[in-house]
Amino acid sequence: MSDNMNKAFDQAAAFQKLWTESLVNMASVWSQYSPVSPPVDEIRKMRGGMLKVLGETWDEYMRTPQFMELMKASLNGALDLKRMAREGMNRAHEQFENPSKEDIDGVLMAIRHVERRLLDRLEGLDERVVNLDEKIDKVDRRIAKQEHATERRGQTSETDTEK
Amino acid sequence: MDNKSSNEIDWEAWQTSFTDETFTNLRRIASIPFLPEKLELVRKGVTPREIVYEEDRLKVYHYIGEGEPKFKTPLCFVFALVNRPYIMDLKKGRSIVANYVKAGFDTYLIDWGTPTKAERFLTTDDYVNGYMLNVVEYLRERRGSDKVNLLGYCMGGILSTMFTAIHQDLVKNLVVLATGIDFSTRESLINLWSDPRYFDADKFVDTMGNIPAEFLQSAFLMSKPIASLIEKPINLMENVHRDEFVDDFLHMETWINDNIPVPGEVYREFAKYLFQQNLLAKNRMPVGRHIVDLRKITCPLLNLMARNDDLVPPVQSEPLNDLVSSTDKEKIIWPAGHVGLGVGTRSHKELWPRAVDWLVQRSD
Repeated sequence: MSDNMNKAFDQAAAFQKLWTESLVNMASVWSQYSPVSPPVDEIRKMRGGMLKVLGETWDEYMRTPQFMELMKASLNGALDLKRMAREGMNRAHEQFENPSKEDIDGVLMAIRHVERRLLDRLEGLDERVVNLDEKIDKVDRRIAKQEHATERRGQTSETDTEK
Repeated sequence: MDNKSSNEIDWEAWQTSFTDETFTNLRRIASIPFLPEKLELVRKGVTPREIVYEEDRLKVYHYIGEGEPKFKTPLCFVFALVNRPYIMDLKKGRSIVANYVKAGFDTYLIDWGTPTKAERFLTTDDYVNGYMLNVVEYLRERRGSDKVNLLGYCMGGILSTMFTAIHQDLVKNLVVLATGIDFSTRESLINLWSDPRYFDADKFVDTMGNIPAEFLQSAFLMSKPIASLIEKPINLMENVHRDEFVDDFLHMETWINDNIPVPGEVYREFAKYLFQQNLLAKNRMPVGRHIVDLRKITCPLLNLMARNDDLVPPVQSEPLNDLVSSTDKEKIIWPAGHVGLGVGTRSHKELWPRAVDWLVQRSD
């Protein structure tokens, strides 16, 4: 219990420190105000400086674990709510024997699986065809080599006969 | 004789300043009613184009130049899945596409389309080894070319990089813009928020299905709340009387607010494998049956990064040049933001001529 309280106090202190420093930095921007120059230009410069400090502070704050925990809790809450609502709707659709989102997702998944299986099979067939092509090419080359060898032997024996 | 010291107020300058500002304010107020009319003039894409290929929701646009293309190898633009791609052809004088068309490239762009619930289960493999492969095969056949040039922006750059690693024999040159590869640093807020301690990607995708466009837009907005919610409207009001500013502003805002949903499974893979486990930089990113190994990239590479990029800081993009095996590789870190890299005035005056020339030198 005291650990949690200490943690909460530490977080509050860190939060307060960050924003206090930001206010101090914004105030220091105003210390550069020069009454000599036209006020319109100076105010624009001051505004730019303050927004820059504010932007940097927000960036720093959004990187803190506290902010990210807050974001996580907020997102999870929204997701849980959405999930509950969807489950409720699914049950209602089921009662009225209407297709629900779950049913549609199921059909889409089934189509995906069929598509994937077909594509895998086609890729496998493609590879086998490529392998077959290579084997046929090898056989063709061997046959051509043998025919060439046979021709040369035939020519050589003819020459011997003539002699 | 004027003996004003440096601390004395220059009343004349004050008076002039007040008068000028008053008249400028009157001009600003008078310009406001014309904003809707100026919004009507915004066009999504300016370079003449035709649809040459369609598959499911995907369309491939061919950009028509004056005369025949000078280079045989076609150039294909690949954009992200989270926004519409007409940012690459935003308006006259701010069109990356037009630069390449003018240089003589036969230029194409993949428009992924707007996913519906039917695309819920599409994976990165479907995009890289399905759609992109089909498009590349089509372009090769159409141009009678063995290879294509790829230019990818942001997530499109990641898809292009993965494609090149898996199908290097089909890619002649690779250009990537603001493309995150190494997500180990958590410098960008978007990357930090995806830390697995705080973000359960599986729960998110299982509940939401496709990632809503509003969620992505909110995340981008939240990463720079002061700039987006305070500085931007102030800037608009200050410059609403300047036609060119308003035209640029309206074009950009039209695009920025034109987010599209992301297929759930693609988002799951990017969130878990890229942002959380950083598998791409480790050469262990699974894409279907393949494991993407960046060392298999050997083609010339141009890596364009934006120094002031909050979404994809250079520290996430730079490592790509060390991870590939290409000998011809170059990187440019340009003083601009994530979007300014592509459409900024200075980018178009100085950066894009260099980038176009880089590709021209490596084209036949």
